[in-house]
Amino acid sequence: MKKISFWTIFLCFVFVPIGLLILQSFTAPGSLTEPSMNGWTGLFERRRLVEATLTSLVIGAFVVLFNIVIGMSAGKALALYRFQGKDILDTLLLMPILLPLLAITFGVHIAMIRIGLADTAAGVILIHLVPTVPYSIKIFRNGYVSLGGKILEQAEMLGASAGRTFLDIELPLLRAPIQSVVFLTFVISLSQYVITAIIGGGTVVTLAMVYFPFLESANTTLVAAFSLWFALLPLSFYLFAEGLIRLLPYQRRRRRRTHDLFY
Amino acid sequence: MKSSGPLKPWLLLSPALLFLLLPLYGLGAAFWNSITDQGALSLKVYEELFRDEEFLSSLLYSVWIALAATVLSLFLGWFLTRMFASLLASTSGKLAAWLPMIFPHFVWAYLVLLLFREGGLISGLIPGDPSLAQDPEGIGIILTYIGKETPFVILMLLPVYLTRERHYDDLVETLGGSLFFRIRDAEWPWVAPVFIETGLIIFAFTFSAYEVPALVGATFPEMVSVLTYDWFYSGDWGERPLAFAAMVFSSVVISLIAWVAFFLINKKRRLLTEGL
Repeated sequence: MKKISFWTIFLCFVFVPIGLLILQSFTAPGSLTEPSMNGWTGLFERRRLVEATLTSLVIGAFVVLFNIVIGMSAGKALALYRFQGKDILDTLLLMPILLPLLAITFGVHIAMIRIGLADTAAGVILIHLVPTVPYSIKIFRNGYVSLGGKILEQAEMLGASAGRTFLDIELPLLRAPIQSVVFLTFVISLSQYVITAIIGGGTVVTLAMVYFPFLESANTTLVAAFSLWFALLPLSFYLFAEGLIRLLPYQRRRRRRTHDLFY
Repeated sequence: MKSSGPLKPWLLLSPALLFLLLPLYGLGAAFWNSITDQGALSLKVYEELFRDEEFLSSLLYSVWIALAATVLSLFLGWFLTRMFASLLASTSGKLAAWLPMIFPHFVWAYLVLLLFREGGLISGLIPGDPSLAQDPEGIGIILTYIGKETPFVILMLLPVYLTRERHYDDLVETLGGSLFFRIRDAEWPWVAPVFIETGLIIFAFTFSAYEVPALVGATFPEMVSVLTYDWFYSGDWGERPLAFAAMVFSSVVISLIAWVAFFLINKKRRLLTEGL
């Protein structure tokens, strides 16, 4: 009974809307019955879209990389060490997702113009860190809490170097938080329209920059296909990152999850 | 918990501290630009801002939309998590909850537009064909946010429900407590910190995000973010100081609410560790 009501709710509020989007992307505009491939062919005929996809992928990849470095190190410090000023730091690290992103971006924009980062992909990567890093630190912090400090002390006591410990213990056991961070960070980076527009100044054209003016078009088939493209991209990026993670040590066999998403 | 080597944690935190310079500088620069007028300190911009009726009405409108979206998605998400915690913990359930997270907010906004605008796939079926998107009441914006934030609430609350101490449920039951007492005494103390923090994140986001109201909002009234963005890019840059001031003031509003919320969380935490 519970199972039925759960899947009914899911069907109505998630699956049907997304299903309609899929259906519309394969049918003529405004009709849901007349088949048409124009949405998908029309989408890939646009060179601007292909270029924007590449730009978004590159920017997203750098944002993910920075997030892993910052998130892992800070998460470890916050989870395993006691030090003065931790409470203040906790609040400070939540601040970037609480205060208006527009306020931060307006202010940063001035500095970026001065040091030549405005209108560059590097500037856009930096500003995309603001809405992502706080989440990554949270996720890695929880990851390190469930990992516990004991196992790392053990390695240290057995004479393992910091690098060895990182490669042999932290990376393999923190796989689930790494997966969450890769996925979440990439999706958030892909979703940023207004801060990309301000810092990128129209020179850095990501997918969101193409999608927004596109919505004015009455061709619902094309927009539906474009909308789905936004979901396909993080999925393929995630699979690609998964492939990379498998190259790490001790990943040949799927191990038991030691950690839950978001936990 | 290690406490040896006072330098080690700060070494690990250095990338994060470096990162913090970015938002801190941004806020500082926005603040500085809002209180200076041609190089001299002045509150002229704020005087102008608070005389601007368009700003005041859009501020109230934003508070109302953000509050409605936050409260509705919080309670909906909480209800679903309570009901289906075990199902949500399974792989298929987890995937179901994650699915809406893949789509950017503006794609969800387009979906709402497609379904609820005049002649839309759903609103067209309702007698009278009401337009529930780009409507002055902001129903389209609220619908979009509920669709996107409810899964977020579920993903935040789920770990609490999966690791929660269950003995208190039994205790309330043996003592003959109703569902109300079970929620109040056995669940709420554990749920509260995450619930309040999640609510705060959602309120702050929906209050000041640009993308969704720009797509499914009406031309009038506008949310603060849309109005501010227009000011920022107004032709002669003459309204830029106003844009800075509007955003600084929005930050103050959110900070005040955050301060109250954190006060509540800490009170709750103290109760959890000292009381009970």
